[in-house]
Amino acid sequence: MHLRTCSPAKAATAAYLLLTSISAPLSAQASTTLGGYGEFHYVNSNRLGAGAVGTVKRFVLYFAHSFDPRITFRSELEVEDAKVEGGEEGGEVALEQAYLDFRLSDHATARAGLVLVPLGILNETHEPPTFNGVARADYHSVVIPTTWRELGVGVVGTIPGTEGLAYRLYLVNGLLAEGFTAERGIRGGRQEGKEASFANPSLTGRLEYARPGVKIGGAVYYGGSANGDPRLGEGVFAAPVAMVALDARLERGPWAFRGEAAYTHVSKAEEISDAFGETVGSRMSGWYGEGAYNLLHLLSRESTAQLNAFVRYERLNTQAGLPGGSTADDAFARRITTAGLTWKPISNVAIKGDYQFRRNKAGAGQDDVVRLGLGYQF
Amino acid sequence: MLVAASAFVVALGTPAAQNAPTAKVTASLGRVFGHELAVDTVRIDTTNVIRVRRGDSLLGFAQVRNVKGKDQPITFLVAIDPEARLRDVDILVYREPYGGEVAYESWRRQFRGKGPGDPIQLGRDIRGISGATISVNSVTDGVRRALAELAQWRKQGLLH
Repeated sequence: MHLRTCSPAKAATAAYLLLTSISAPLSAQASTTLGGYGEFHYVNSNRLGAGAVGTVKRFVLYFAHSFDPRITFRSELEVEDAKVEGGEEGGEVALEQAYLDFRLSDHATARAGLVLVPLGILNETHEPPTFNGVARADYHSVVIPTTWRELGVGVVGTIPGTEGLAYRLYLVNGLLAEGFTAERGIRGGRQEGKEASFANPSLTGRLEYARPGVKIGGAVYYGGSANGDPRLGEGVFAAPVAMVALDARLERGPWAFRGEAAYTHVSKAEEISDAFGETVGSRMSGWYGEGAYNLLHLLSRESTAQLNAFVRYERLNTQAGLPGGSTADDAFARRITTAGLTWKPISNVAIKGDYQFRRNKAGAGQDDVVRLGLGYQF
Repeated sequence: MLVAASAFVVALGTPAAQNAPTAKVTASLGRVFGHELAVDTVRIDTTNVIRVRRGDSLLGFAQVRNVKGKDQPITFLVAIDPEARLRDVDILVYREPYGGEVAYESWRRQFRGKGPGDPIQLGRDIRGISGATISVNSVTDGVRRALAELAQWRKQGLLH
C-alpha cells in the first residue's frame, strides 16, 4: 500500500486525472441522439353531426447532434394528423423547433434558430406524459398558442449565485396581425419559421424558480405585428402585442396541482379589425387550475406507476376587451371543465381518458366530449 | 487492486480532463469530506474508486460517473462513508440547456444518508422536479446503481 498525504487540492486533482484515464469517458464526444414523442386521440362529441374521430395527433422525432462539448444542434420534426396530401384539409409536417446551442458557461447557453417562445408550462415542455388530459388544454391553444416557435437568437441558463433561478431571453421575429382572429386570438399570427417577416422584432423572456416539488414561472412577450402595413402604425414595435404569463406547479406526495394565467394586450385592435375584417380583442385573457391525485398511492406506496385522477377548470376569453364601438361575442367567453384519468405504467408512457364540459357565456355551440388517448416520449 | 499514487501523472493532458474541470472534483471532495484529505484510488475491474482518508482514519469513498440526460452525459460524483451510507451526490458537469435543476442542493440533499437497502426511486423516497423529468430520472437511477455497486464492493472487501 502506498499512500501519500498532500494538500487536498493536489490530491483530488491527481485522483481525478487518474480516474479519467481509465473509467468511462467523461467528455461529450461528437454524438447523435434520436428521441421522440407522440399522441393518439379518440374524440367523441355529442354535438349534432360531430361524431367520433380518431387521429394520430402528433408524431414527433427528436433529433440532436453534439459536434463537440460546446456546440449542439437540437430539433423536433413533427407530423400532425398522420399524413398530408395535396388539396386536402388538415395534416401538417413542420419543424417544431430547430436550433443550435453554444454553451458559454455553466450559467449561459447562447441559442439561435427556430426557438420556443418561453411562455407558460406547455410551450416548452409538451410531451404528452407530462400533462393530464388527452389533448392540451384550450388555454394552451387559444391564450398561449402552443407550440409557439419563432426564428431568433437568445440566451438560456441559470442565474449565478442563486439556487433555483433559471432564465431564458430571446429576440425573435414578430407576429403578423393579419392572422389574428376573434375566436383564436393571436394564434394565426405565428410565423413558425416559414419565410418569416422580420419587419417587427419581438422580445420575450422567462424567469423560473424551482425546488423539489415546486416550480413557479413568469414570462413576458412584447413585439410589433404591423409587418409594414401603414394602417397599423409605424416603427419597430408598430401594432404592439404585449403578453404576461404566470405558471405554478406543486407536487406533494400523491397530490399534484398546477395553474396558469395570462393576459394579452393588442394595442391596435381597432385598426387591425378594420384592416382585416375581424373583431380582434384588444384584451385577451385566460386562466386554469388543475388538481390531481395518484390513486395508486392508496393501494401501494411502493409503486412508481401512477393513476392520476384529475379535474381542470379553465376560463378563456379572446374578447375580454374590445375597441370602442364593437360588441363582444359571448361565445368567445369560454369555460371548460375537464375530468379524467391518466394512467402511467412508467413515467414515459401515458394512457388517458377524460370527459369535457365545454360551455360559453352565449350558450351557443356547447358540447360534451369524451376522449381517449395514448402518449409516449423517449 | 490498488493503484499507486505515483501513477497520477498518467492521464495528464487527456481530452477528458479538459472537459470536466478538475477544480470541480477537488471542490466537491472538499465540500463532502472537509479538508486535509489524503486521496488515492482503488481499481475494481475496469473502474476506479477514489479513497478518501485523513491521517489514519478512513473517511469514505467517492466515484465520478456519467448518466445520459436527454442528449448529453451528466457527470456526477457520488460519495459514501465507510458504512456505505451516501454522504452526498454532486453534479460536476451538466451540459444540457434544460433540467439543470438536478444540480440544486435542495434536490441533491434528498440522497444523503441513503443506504443500499433504500429504494432511491422517484415518487417513493425521492421527490422530482417539474419540467426536469428526464434528468431527475437519470441521476436518481445512476445514484441507485452507484450506491449498490459501491456497497457491494465494500462488503466484498474490495474497498477498504
